[in-house]
Amino acid sequence: MELSTIKDAFDRVAKKQRLSSSKTQEVIDQIIREIEQALVKMHDPTLPMDQKSILTELNNKLNEMGPVNQLEGSQKELNVALSKYAKLLDKSFNPDISKAYRNIDFDIHTINQIIACHFYRLGLFDLGDCFIYEAKEPEAITQKTPFLEMYKILEAMGSRNLEPALNWASANRDCLIQNGSSLELKLHRLQFVEILQNGSRSDALKYARTYLAPFAPLHLAEIQKLMACLLWAGRLNSSPYSELLSPIHWEKLSEELTEQFCSLLGQSSESPLSVAISAGVQGLPTLLKLANVMAAKKQDWQAMKQLPVPVDLGREFQFHSIFVCPVSRDQGSEENPPMLMPCGHVLCKQSIVKLSKSSTRTFKCPYCPLEATVAQCRQLHF
Amino acid sequence: MEVEPSLPNGDSAATVTTAASVPSSRMNNLAESLKLEHQFLKVPFEHFKKSMRANHRIVEKEMSTVISSVAEAANRDDMSKEEAVHHLTNLVSRLQGLKRKLEEGSKAENLQAQRCRARLNHLEAAEAENLSEWNNTRLRRILVDYMLRLSYYDTAVKLADCSNIQDLVDIDVFHEAKKVIDALQNREVAPALAWCADNKSKLKKSKSKFEFQLRLQEFIELVRADNHLQAITYARKYLAPWGATHMKELQRVMATLAFKSNTECPKYKVLFESKQWDYLVELFKQEFCRLYGMTLEPLLSIFLQAGLSALKTPFCFEEDCTKEDPLSQESFRKLAMQLPFSKQHHSKLVCYITKELMDTENPPLVLPNGYVYSTKALEEMAKKNDGTVTCPRTGLVCNYSELVKAFIS
Repeated sequence: MELSTIKDAFDRVAKKQRLSSSKTQEVIDQIIREIEQALVKMHDPTLPMDQKSILTELNNKLNEMGPVNQLEGSQKELNVALSKYAKLLDKSFNPDISKAYRNIDFDIHTINQIIACHFYRLGLFDLGDCFIYEAKEPEAITQKTPFLEMYKILEAMGSRNLEPALNWASANRDCLIQNGSSLELKLHRLQFVEILQNGSRSDALKYARTYLAPFAPLHLAEIQKLMACLLWAGRLNSSPYSELLSPIHWEKLSEELTEQFCSLLGQSSESPLSVAISAGVQGLPTLLKLANVMAAKKQDWQAMKQLPVPVDLGREFQFHSIFVCPVSRDQGSEENPPMLMPCGHVLCKQSIVKLSKSSTRTFKCPYCPLEATVAQCRQLHF
Repeated sequence: MEVEPSLPNGDSAATVTTAASVPSSRMNNLAESLKLEHQFLKVPFEHFKKSMRANHRIVEKEMSTVISSVAEAANRDDMSKEEAVHHLTNLVSRLQGLKRKLEEGSKAENLQAQRCRARLNHLEAAEAENLSEWNNTRLRRILVDYMLRLSYYDTAVKLADCSNIQDLVDIDVFHEAKKVIDALQNREVAPALAWCADNKSKLKKSKSKFEFQLRLQEFIELVRADNHLQAITYARKYLAPWGATHMKELQRVMATLAFKSNTECPKYKVLFESKQWDYLVELFKQEFCRLYGMTLEPLLSIFLQAGLSALKTPFCFEEDCTKEDPLSQESFRKLAMQLPFSKQHHSKLVCYITKELMDTENPPLVLPNGYVYSTKALEEMAKKNDGTVTCPRTGLVCNYSELVKAFIS
């Protein structure tokens, strides 16, 4: 698709529209002029004409001018440009993207809940409130409270106040550790660096003893590095550790906190609505092609249980391991799991049973010369 | 680019092609997704076209009135001089009024042309570098579209204002719809009929029966109020012309004269129910969308369905489904219930630990218990723990050397 061609076509429309409207103005002015001239003649006592002949003369002039016909030309040109642009739009874009839409009960109430949650998790609280009021979904307000807390913490971090974040992290210490996150330590590190830079060395030391020491068993190297920073208290920027002062740590930690906060709420780090819509934008072109093909073959789009072709999405949408047997093309499942042969190639169980004539004999791997028996194959878990 | 002589040629060629193919596929994706933006350009264009037509119609009408009134005056014999002067002066001021009107009209037209252009520019601005921001804007556009279609106007305006996308959404177009919908909800049909008259030729072309339905409803209201004579006069005037195409419905409605509004006969009872008005609102929304070249369903529903179909796998419904998958959430699962599952032709394996794709760059390794993780994850684990790895799902501890590579095509 060439956007520049489309823009050119539109420029032509705009130009013809300007031409046509200036032409209209011109014609109206012409008529006004003619009438005004007739009026002047009527007021002129030296002229030997009566009003009737002046009016007849005016009428003849106007008919001769043919104002309506004069406009037709520019209108025609405008219409040509308009229909060309409209055709170009229809040709360059997909004029009906609802062809792959299934006429199912797509519950508005559920969609509204999802949207309300989306607004709140983006911190658009006023908007969310306005929405649930207008959409009459008052119970969706329950989704607001946790995100209010999150944005309070983030806002405080924005003004370099770590206290709410630290309180939250210590209250949720066990969950964070279970997630494999060292968020709490990172927050303390940031606080320590702040004290080191703005406060006294003894304050920093005291802080380290109270808050950093408990992390020593797991993060010894990190703590040692921070302790070394004490030597440069107040002039950390000229030390080997000046990197610790970079504002990027604040940004990164805000991101990590958002991620962890959402995770503890049982939510994804990205808004699920935006993930689903992005997947839809990527998948829809394929689905539309498919719907067209199926319509041509008179196959039923509305009832099928599985799409007949794969819809390729980017790897950011790959949330699950999907094993497809290279022999049978079946998708792995609990009844038909993937099996590892001694050579390292993987087939699904049913294919292996088939190759081994119901587990009665050894068979050759379809991908390499090695032979195997069913007993040597191992089930895999992805 | 200089190729180091020590590198085998094949290798360097391979890296060059993969580096080039990734962005090109992304650009291809982008081009495909831009093709979905028909409505985005079509709606402001239809709006623009509509104002142009309306303005032109005013000019034509006024001009022919002026000309014919001059002709009429010229044909009269009994006109005094004063009368003639007065007549012509009137015509001049009338034309001046038309000029003023046109100036206003062309101001509005220019704004609409600007909007069309702003949208073209917006599409052109989508590039690989700003894609995530552009996608965010797209989501907001889609959400505004949803709000407008469900008549959540305040939210629509607020969202458009706070995202600064007023030119990229159709709030003003829907403003026109709002008047009609509000009136229908108050059981008034006049604005809807005026709208039909405004768009007569287009509605006729699409064989719309919206106007007929409005007339039927007005008739029903007369019957409800027991104004039978008036109802009959109304039917003669407004319903009869539809006889040729909609005789059955016409007959059915006429029968209500016999049954009255308190009838228990189900066939006629339904005609008096208040949900008939809701139906008129729905019908109007459909006609309205069709007229402007919009999809009949909200964009949000279309994209959401497509996305959920593409994402839906049997694994999404298992208990240990990752939170990152929208289908791990009950609400999304509910929406996806009646949608088809996606299909895969090739294996796509995601490492349980790092969530990264396992491919030839990062091949899958099998633990003695059959659990599979990516090389990257296990290597790092082994490095930290003196060469041993621990299976995060079963707790099995084994040596890195016990792992075997799996080949998955």
